[in-house]
Amino acid sequence: MTATVQPVPDSALMDRMRTGDEAALSTLYDRYSAMLFGMLMRILRDQQAAEEVLQDLFLQLWRNAGQFDPKRGSLPAWLMVMGRNRAISRLRGRRDREVLEEEEGDYANTFASGQNIEDETMRAELARNVSAAIGQLPVEQRQALELAYFEGMTQSEIASKTGIPVGTVKTRVRTAMQTLRSILG
Amino acid sequence: MTEPHANPEDLDLYALGALDGEEKKTLEVHLRACPHCQQELAAARQRTALIGLSAAPAAPRPQVKLALMDKVRAEKRAGTQSSVAQIIPSQIRKKRWGLRFSFGFGLATALLAFATYDFAKQDLDRGKKLQQLQAQVSQDAAALQAMGQVTGAPDSAQITLLQQPNEPPGQAHMLYNARMGLGVYSGQIAPAPSGKSYQLWLVPSSGAPVDAGLVNANQQNGAVVVRLTPGLAPKAFAVTLEPLGGRPQPTGPMVLVGAAS
Repeated sequence: MTATVQPVPDSALMDRMRTGDEAALSTLYDRYSAMLFGMLMRILRDQQAAEEVLQDLFLQLWRNAGQFDPKRGSLPAWLMVMGRNRAISRLRGRRDREVLEEEEGDYANTFASGQNIEDETMRAELARNVSAAIGQLPVEQRQALELAYFEGMTQSEIASKTGIPVGTVKTRVRTAMQTLRSILG
Repeated sequence: MTEPHANPEDLDLYALGALDGEEKKTLEVHLRACPHCQQELAAARQRTALIGLSAAPAAPRPQVKLALMDKVRAEKRAGTQSSVAQIIPSQIRKKRWGLRFSFGFGLATALLAFATYDFAKQDLDRGKKLQQLQAQVSQDAAALQAMGQVTGAPDSAQITLLQQPNEPPGQAHMLYNARMGLGVYSGQIAPAPSGKSYQLWLVPSSGAPVDAGLVNANQQNGAVVVRLTPGLAPKAFAVTLEPLGGRPQPTGPMVLVGAAS
């Protein structure tokens, strides 16, 4: 018989961090740093810059552990949204993004409650499903989606870069998102 | 006539941060007044947040974590040095209070001076951070000043508040001068449950407990100055768990209690 070890919930680790427990931060770092660093590297394409953003992100988490409200969204969602915003801000000098989204809580409900990615196996499975779903998109749709997400481009910038009308960009992004929804549920 | 809902394409683009120009402004105006579209936007955000997971995970170099943990430890140490809470040891020795007060106040002043100089060179966005730091330093300075007054008085007392049976773990210290009605509280308790607050009380020899204000679970790195009616002698101090925001009289369980004599 194999015993299954349940991971310590993020909420419990956040509670411990609020009392100054460094080990809790260490556990959260081990849990989410590879997921975040992969995304940051994809956006920044610069190891040092990605490492700086990653470190700042966890330092902010440590400093503001008392202010994090799990009712507004899950911790990995917060980390992903903030990490992406910071990376794109750094890449493109758009500081307005991170200020706006951190203050208004844009991360709320960004991962549905059923997507428990505290567990490494489930996290890996979800990542595989997302990658497969995006891989199934037609090239032009995937390109529009990735330019928006990983390069932080607006619809006008995507249209300018790819030489297609803004209306077509909208349609491609919309169709891609509908396909993702149908695949991922 | 009912205003039509937002175009789903625009909601997807907005969730991605890719909508721009007038379309973005128009959508934001509409969103403020349309619960249906707010829900649709939340769903769009769920989908867009997942896109980041398509990037292959990559392990950062081990030095990153080491540097992070070093910074965290350094911040904890710095917090300890500048914190009034840490200036109060469990077995306090009065003759050292003045020296520690001077060191703490000097550190706070130096921090503020350095921050003012440093931030003045930065762009205006840093102004907000400076204000926060100034507020924190002012708070610390007030606590340090109160600490100085209390520690300098021979009739001040230190009370240790201890965990009560079946209550969350914690401990706190109250340095209090009844003649001045002035005290400094520091301590740490397990985080309060959602919708609850910890409240400090002065328990007099006779009569009802006196509200001494709300305290955070973690006041280890930021002491609270307590100002009460001068001349009110405490029999004890206590911390109770109350509904959020506290109550005029204690209604919840006593979490920490410390006798004054």
